[in-house]
Amino acid sequence: MWLYAARRLLMTIPIGLGVTVICFALIYLAPGNPVQSLLPPDATAKDIEELKHAYGLDKPIPIQYVIWLGHALTGNLGISIQTNRPVLDEVVRALGNTISISVISVILAFVIAMALGILAATRVGGFLDRFSTSIAVFGISVPSFWLGVILVIIFSVELGWLPATGMGSAGSDHFSWFQWSEAKYAVMPIVALTLTPLGILMRTTRSSIAEVLALDFIQTLRAKGLGRTAIVIHAIRNALPQILAMFGLQLGYLIGGSILVETVFTWPGTGFLLNKAILTRDIPLLQGTILVLAMAFVGINLIVDLLQTAVDPRIKRA
Amino acid sequence: MASVATVRRMAWLGMACALGATVAAAPARAESVLRVAMSAADIPDWTGAPDQGYEGFRFVGFSLYDSLTEWDLSHSDKAADIRPGLATSWTIDPADHKKWIFKLREGVTFTDGCPWNADSAVWNFKRLMDTASPQYNVRQHAMQSWLITNIADITKVDDHTIAATTKIEDSLLPYEVAGYFQISNCAVTKMNNDYTAFAKSPSGTGPYKFDKVVPHERLELVKNADYWDKTRVPKHDRLVLIPMPEASTRAAALLSGQVDFIEAPSPDTIPRLKEGGMKIITVPYPHNWNYQLRADRPPFNDVRVRQAANYAINRDELVDMLQGVATPGYGKFIESQTWYGKPLQYTFNIDKAKALLKEAGCMPCKFTVGISTSGSGQMQPLPMNELVKEQLDAAGFQVTLAPMDWNSLIDVFFGGSHKYPQYDAVNVSLSSIEPVQGVMKSSMTRFQPPNGWNWGYFTDPAIDKLGEEALSTFDGPARDALIAKMHETYVADAPEVFIAHDLNPRAISPKVHGFVQAQSWFQDLTPITVGD
Amino acid sequence: MSDLSITGAGATADPNAREAPPASQVRGYWGNVWQRLRYDYATLFFLALIILIVASAVFAPLIAPFDPNKASMAHRLKPLFFRDNILGTDEQGRDILSRILYGGRTSLLMGIAPVVVATIVGGLFGVVAGYAGGKVNTIIMRGMDVFFAFPSVLLAVAISGSLGGGMINQLITLTVVLTPPLCRVAETATSQIRSMDFVDAARASGASTTSILFNHVLVNAISPVLVYASTLVSASILLASGLSFLGLGVSPPTPDWGLMLSTLRQALYVQPIVCAMPGVAILITSIAFNLVSDGLRQAMDVKA
Repeated sequence: MWLYAARRLLMTIPIGLGVTVICFALIYLAPGNPVQSLLPPDATAKDIEELKHAYGLDKPIPIQYVIWLGHALTGNLGISIQTNRPVLDEVVRALGNTISISVISVILAFVIAMALGILAATRVGGFLDRFSTSIAVFGISVPSFWLGVILVIIFSVELGWLPATGMGSAGSDHFSWFQWSEAKYAVMPIVALTLTPLGILMRTTRSSIAEVLALDFIQTLRAKGLGRTAIVIHAIRNALPQILAMFGLQLGYLIGGSILVETVFTWPGTGFLLNKAILTRDIPLLQGTILVLAMAFVGINLIVDLLQTAVDPRIKRA
Repeated sequence: MASVATVRRMAWLGMACALGATVAAAPARAESVLRVAMSAADIPDWTGAPDQGYEGFRFVGFSLYDSLTEWDLSHSDKAADIRPGLATSWTIDPADHKKWIFKLREGVTFTDGCPWNADSAVWNFKRLMDTASPQYNVRQHAMQSWLITNIADITKVDDHTIAATTKIEDSLLPYEVAGYFQISNCAVTKMNNDYTAFAKSPSGTGPYKFDKVVPHERLELVKNADYWDKTRVPKHDRLVLIPMPEASTRAAALLSGQVDFIEAPSPDTIPRLKEGGMKIITVPYPHNWNYQLRADRPPFNDVRVRQAANYAINRDELVDMLQGVATPGYGKFIESQTWYGKPLQYTFNIDKAKALLKEAGCMPCKFTVGISTSGSGQMQPLPMNELVKEQLDAAGFQVTLAPMDWNSLIDVFFGGSHKYPQYDAVNVSLSSIEPVQGVMKSSMTRFQPPNGWNWGYFTDPAIDKLGEEALSTFDGPARDALIAKMHETYVADAPEVFIAHDLNPRAISPKVHGFVQAQSWFQDLTPITVGD
Repeated sequence: MSDLSITGAGATADPNAREAPPASQVRGYWGNVWQRLRYDYATLFFLALIILIVASAVFAPLIAPFDPNKASMAHRLKPLFFRDNILGTDEQGRDILSRILYGGRTSLLMGIAPVVVATIVGGLFGVVAGYAGGKVNTIIMRGMDVFFAFPSVLLAVAISGSLGGGMINQLITLTVVLTPPLCRVAETATSQIRSMDFVDAARASGASTTSILFNHVLVNAISPVLVYASTLVSASILLASGLSFLGLGVSPPTPDWGLMLSTLRQALYVQPIVCAMPGVAILITSIAFNLVSDGLRQAMDVKA
């Protein structure tokens, strides 16, 4: 177990390095001039060169990488071209906003998925099974941004119940979960984010519990006269490691993949930051945000893996 | 991520809620707040070097800062002109036509208490012109230096007088400096010339003062009750600026009461906004939505082909499609500007277009135009370009639209047509608030890339001559007459397909009163009152 | 790293599936699959739906009532069943139904082509890695691991955001995103089969590596790979529409469902139902692909 944990931890290092290479390489995929968006119409070639120099974009590529990596390792992700503020500060404040709605969404999805999944798995083929399976299929098939846009039309524009955009009446600095007038800003983003993990978790729960229920030892338990509830609890306990693993993974996906929903609701998280970085061609910001998100994803995967091994020692790891 | 203070605040609020107490977010005296949704992708720079196009000037630059001259935005029935700002008067030195003398306004202080005088003015010019000065900053230079490219030197004459020496004779300098913002030299010096520190408490002389910012989300300004121009002290207490690049988001925000004033609603949302009780305001302003043509090779090296394209455009149909938020464009300036003159009018005439093409021997006349999928001032680029293509094709052209993102198109435009030989035309919207950018930079030979905006390498000796003459004419009306003549020649030469002028629609909530929309890219928000 | 999944669908197909069944007789296996599918009416129904969707996209020029790019300013944003425009018209007065039919070509291309290319490329790498083992395996699989450090949406946005929009760029992006997971599924399946008795037997009887690869390994690794690939089609369509929505997809005026959603967003206030139609097309197609891939998995007896 500890050996595995140590190996798993060591494996993360080359992956982390690979991630930095990809993030760094992104600039060179980009057409156009990275400082163009900053410059006024009449900027001369000299202005462009000066600005490139100021941002270190005029050095040879490998040197830029080494410098960039050195800085990144010490938490210096550079300065945003657009805002002139440290990229790390930008990403950290955005990450907090993304994590808060992602965690709530995944927990919400988890609770509903567990309830529906257990109901479905114990009544395979029944009405409840069909109902919850349909919800799950809808969840994994619906484009979340489209759902978001439709929610805005219904609940903000037509009914006027929920605000359409932003995080709080005075910006994210003054946001509070404990005041409805503020917290209501998070309702629609959370709903739009919840559906996909709900579908996935519900399917995982249903299939893993149904699978356990069909196993020999459950049949034995049943033969021994164990009650239905006790058997289901047993099945849940057995299926839990797999469901938990999926839970962690979904959390990682939401944190890294919330760009569409955040864009629709202008929720000031990392996805929104990423979209701004793309729109304004703010390469240091784009790189830094992607790097932090990828590293967060690697970290969550690592934790999930270790937890899963701890919870379920039967899982043998190569 | 939450700071200790946040956690404490949350705990406090939680407790308050548990006790059933209402935690009032608003201060005791209700302050009147104007919340504006901008179309910018992010909050424009607020340290006196605005980015995000003219929207950055409009909402942030002119709110926090002043310039030597300022745009008079108090009328909506005539094109905006300049008037005294931080300078009370300006004259050209009769002995030296390269030397402008500016008399500075007395008794003005920056919001940090620093006095405005000749030293601050000279300091501000050196900020961009003198790389050796401590206040020099690359970014500030990159953003603002285009306004003062023609200034060779600035000197202090006395405490309230400065002299600006120009590189070439320049009768239009007062227009050029109207967007050159004067920031507090004391504040920047106190912060050791660190503009990031200055961004935390910027200081200018403008009608608003900086209050706070939530990065990427909102910039909050409060009124400057001590503003030197008492007629322009804001009639509301607070101005909140929120970037919302997506038009449908802006509409939803206005309809759900999250903001009071939105920029550029999309034409299709206008009926719904009206239904929701919002006021839609439009006004002509010097904006151009045209095709710039490559004039040094076929097909557009032939003036007949260029004119044919102009006759082929049914501008009224386009305006219809846009629900009336544009006006037909027949030239670079708009009619209310002094410089419009009496140019030839390319009224829609498909037979004439066909005849001209036949005469020029270009049938079908193929060309490729670079267009953007979105962008500042580009209006509704896709549907508009498709309609324009349809109209041109009907007259015997064969147009290929080459869509790209806005930044790429900007690269193509500033790179010049020689660098991008695949395009015969580009569709880049431009302003024409004053003659230098309006016509000179897009038509005179000396402004061919990389020196200006003459993308298509157009050249006409008559235009060059008129331009140089106008720049050396210091008698206002005589100069304006020369520019009008230049505009007439320009329209007849047709180095562009003149298509439309935006009406820059804005939608405001019924609570908002007193807004006078100026015929300008810039607007004055100070007279606005916000009711309940 | 315990798992990977693209947006949603992948969750049900664990690439680490350890129980890919070796079919001793190839024909018998596929025969069984067909027998099982024959009585799975739900899957057959959605399979027919997919065929219908694909056919209507392929034959769009024959069945579309209008030219998808023919604009008409007089007939902008008309409601459902307006004259011959069954699904109404868009912001330029173009027929929505025709645009959805033509748009299916782009959207299905974005759903299927990257999956096919990724299956071939990823499958090949996976089989090589799984069969060769050792250093080759380490190099290929650790290389792929780097891509697994990115959630799929993030990776797609990162690549597209840097490359810029356009159909080719979008195809490249999606293929790059989909290749690593497919590679891993193929690698897992191959390395299991490689260690199985019948492969050893073949090797002992003097069969060449190529022959073993083609006759034994490939035919057996193909089911889990195909099942997994089928789950990715819907994911790919959703991802492509998301990129188009962010302005990172195909360039207008090419009809494309994601792009239509994005441009019609402005007109949602005028004709909400008409403007929701491209979303409905995405939803139905995505559901059909998801359910068929579920059915396939059951029929091919690949454990989730």
